Amino acid sequence: MDSDEDFMSNLSSDEDLIQDDSDNVMEDLSGAEDFDDFDDFDEEDDSDEDIGLQKDIMSKKKYSNEISFTVHRPEDIQKQQDDMINEVNMILELRKEDAAILLRHFRWDNQRLLETYMEDPNRVLEAAGLGANVVGPPKLEAIPGFVCDICCEDKYGLQSFAIKCGHRYCVDCYRHYLTQKIKEEGEAARIQCPADGCPRIIDARSLDLLVTSDLRDRYRELLNRTYVEDRDQLKWCPAPDCINAVHCGVKKKDLSRIVPIVECTCKHRFCFGCILADHQPTPCELVKLWLKKCADDSETANWISAHTKECPKCNSTIEKNGGCNHMTCRKCRHEFCWMCMGLWSEHGTSWYNCNRYEEKSGTEARDAQAKSRKSLERYLHYYNRYANHEQSARLDKDIFQKTQKKMVNLQSASGMSWIEVQYLNAASQCLQTCRQTLKWTYAFAFYLARNNRTEIFEDNQKDLEMAVEALSEMFEKPVTELAHSKLKVDILDKTAYCNKRRIILLDDTAEGLANGLWEFQVEIGNNGQTSRQ
Amino acid sequence: MAQSTAHRRLLQEYKSLTNNPPDGITAGPVSEDDLLHWEALIEGPEETPFEGGIFPAELKFPKDYPLSPPTMKFTGWIFHPNVYKNGSVCISILHPPGEDPNHYEHASERWSPIQSVEKILISVMSMLAEPNDESPANIDAAKMWRERRDEYNDMVRQGVLKMLGL
Repeated sequence: MDSDEDFMSNLSSDEDLIQDDSDNVMEDLSGAEDFDDFDDFDEEDDSDEDIGLQKDIMSKKKYSNEISFTVHRPEDIQKQQDDMINEVNMILELRKEDAAILLRHFRWDNQRLLETYMEDPNRVLEAAGLGANVVGPPKLEAIPGFVCDICCEDKYGLQSFAIKCGHRYCVDCYRHYLTQKIKEEGEAARIQCPADGCPRIIDARSLDLLVTSDLRDRYRELLNRTYVEDRDQLKWCPAPDCINAVHCGVKKKDLSRIVPIVECTCKHRFCFGCILADHQPTPCELVKLWLKKCADDSETANWISAHTKECPKCNSTIEKNGGCNHMTCRKCRHEFCWMCMGLWSEHGTSWYNCNRYEEKSGTEARDAQAKSRKSLERYLHYYNRYANHEQSARLDKDIFQKTQKKMVNLQSASGMSWIEVQYLNAASQCLQTCRQTLKWTYAFAFYLARNNRTEIFEDNQKDLEMAVEALSEMFEKPVTELAHSKLKVDILDKTAYCNKRRIILLDDTAEGLANGLWEFQVEIGNNGQTSRQ
Repeated sequence: MAQSTAHRRLLQEYKSLTNNPPDGITAGPVSEDDLLHWEALIEGPEETPFEGGIFPAELKFPKDYPLSPPTMKFTGWIFHPNVYKNGSVCISILHPPGEDPNHYEHASERWSPIQSVEKILISVMSMLAEPNDESPANIDAAKMWRERRDEYNDMVRQGVLKMLGL
């Protein structure tokens, strides 16, 4: 290792190593496609040297939870648009800016555009906001006797502008109109002629002629944004300050059978279906249900019914905060027994001691109570575990910083080299990813119906959780102990084990989802593969 | 430049409104000294309870007209879902483009420099005939218009008669 470059590429290869193995497979795929190949190949050459063996084994098999996708940088997005525009420009012999407007009108479906255009070019041009008449390049003109309809200016030599439709306004008014549209309304792809009701769209070249350069940049940015938004297979990476878009072929209707997790080159992992952070193995629909359940106060209502009782006569909600079982409702003065909810008068002489069994008056009230308490307990069981892992995930940043410090300390304490302490970084990353997965396994399990598959799922979940906790414990050991080579080997083993268990769990759940094998307590998807209990 | 854009434009509009006045609408500056302050008279549209009434209103233009829209206020009696109790008119053509504070109007329905006083007055006239109860300015009027149309019609007719001194 003799140059900085080598040093850096080793850094990236190590990052590869610490992510779960699925990434390697995905990068193979993305590398094979057109974009980002330069970076990817760089990384892969190096990682092959380091972990070639492991990688070979891993990339042989494609797991069910993996999907293929590509990350596009802004240049790529621009290039794609330019390519399509050039193609249409060549085939239809239209001006490039007109081809762009047509493509936007057809939401970048060039096949449909060509077919429809061939059938009836004039109708297509009209619908897209382009007239059939051809004019020269856009230019400013000073026409004698011209009066601007907006500002009523008529001075000699006034520069004016009009697009194909011929609605002519002075340069200042036109510029003001475009600034308003771009800056305030965020419009770009469909800016119409300022004249009332005129459907003609202003093209990019005319715009360039009229506005200042900062507005032009904003215009291009907005055009790129509409391009990505218009295409169903493209989505922006939601990470803060990330400017990439991800391309993925998963369709909306498949979301109940697949959890399309993609990873941007900025390292952010997110779901292509709902843009939320990685929520494998839970499908988007259940994620939505779960988050809603956690957020709204339906559980407050459940708590009330589990911890309070209603007066059998006036239905006021009562929480017993101590004392004997002889209740007197403060509102209606009804007297009843807290234990059996029956009339207190029926208790006769056995005051302060309800030993009567199953009187009619109390049975029903108690049944409803028990049911709602059970449902609350079930929810809390899953929620507590979910929240616990979420809490740990929130400490991610903290853990990461601590790891960096630990690695420095370890280097000075044990004399290990930088590369020799990287296993700690790997362990920390592994912990984070696994906790993220574990968190969502609880939301998933909450909606599962009880059957054998669920048992297997819970076993997988238990295995992963125990491994993660064990790794977490080792990871927190003081630096003096970490210096022992035995612990290092243990941590390396555990890290690999955790990653493997995680893949197994995700593979199994994804396979079940794809084949509709899971039985949920709620209905998801349109194909009615699930049943309600 | 002797005249500002607003003056030039308003003078132009005044000229065309005087030469070709639309049916049932009269409008012009209160005095030649202040072109930013107009007065308008709108006839109640036929076959509506407003029929027969003449509704005076004032229009105030901002200095940067036509970039920004004017405001319009009825100065006499009026009872209408889209007119505030103080007489201010709430109609999409009088709202500036850009951020829509009400989140339901299309940019194309709102003010733009190629609109004109004439278009505003025509819009207001058709608003009298067809209230928009989706975004009422006068809740009482909107509720009555929606739920007890006969009572609303009666009330407007009474108001018109009273205004005419009958």
